[in-house]
Amino acid sequence: MSKEEFRSILIGAVSGNHEDLEKILELYMPLIEKNSYLNGNRDEDLKQYLMIHIALQIGKFPI
Amino acid sequence: MNHQEKSERDELRARFTGWLEVTLYRAKLNYVKKLERDKGIVYVDELPEELWASENPEKNWIQRITESEGFQFEEERLEKAFHTLSEQRQEILSMLFVEEQTPKEVAGRISCSLRHVYKQRSHALKQLRKMLEEGGEDNE
Repeated sequence: MSKEEFRSILIGAVSGNHEDLEKILELYMPLIEKNSYLNGNRDEDLKQYLMIHIALQIGKFPI
Repeated sequence: MNHQEKSERDELRARFTGWLEVTLYRAKLNYVKKLERDKGIVYVDELPEELWASENPEKNWIQRITESEGFQFEEERLEKAFHTLSEQRQEILSMLFVEEQTPKEVAGRISCSLRHVYKQRSHALKQLRKMLEEGGEDNE
């Protein structure tokens, strides 16, 4: 993904565009998956919680 | 110019990745804390009927929990010493050492200052130590 594409998607996601947010979530899914383990077990609720948290907090990211 | 563009791209993406890592880490901590907090919740309809017949259902319920899930004393004299502490000190020690809550969480639960929790913990442990030392001398 080029610099312009990433920047555009990120700006879209930060300003509340759902499609761009989905792309960001997809792009960072490995990081979300990595954080979705509790005591060595994958926790689907935690994964959902993290995704919702990103969706709620991404607007605070200073570009 | 190309080098400059590349470093700009890396900077934005790296900054966002770093922000996201911190955000996810904090969110995970909150999730774990929430899970721990929810463990202690007892819903009203889960309370046994006989407790409602008593004058103070809440107090009796707390007593029942501390009796069944409280400290597992290895020594009888420690148990005796523990029960001579005031109710509040017993409650604070249980929350700190059995439920493994932080002093801040304990302060929130019993609606007092953090300083009060530290003070009560310190006094309670001193009191226990003193009583055990005295008890030890008696036993010898």
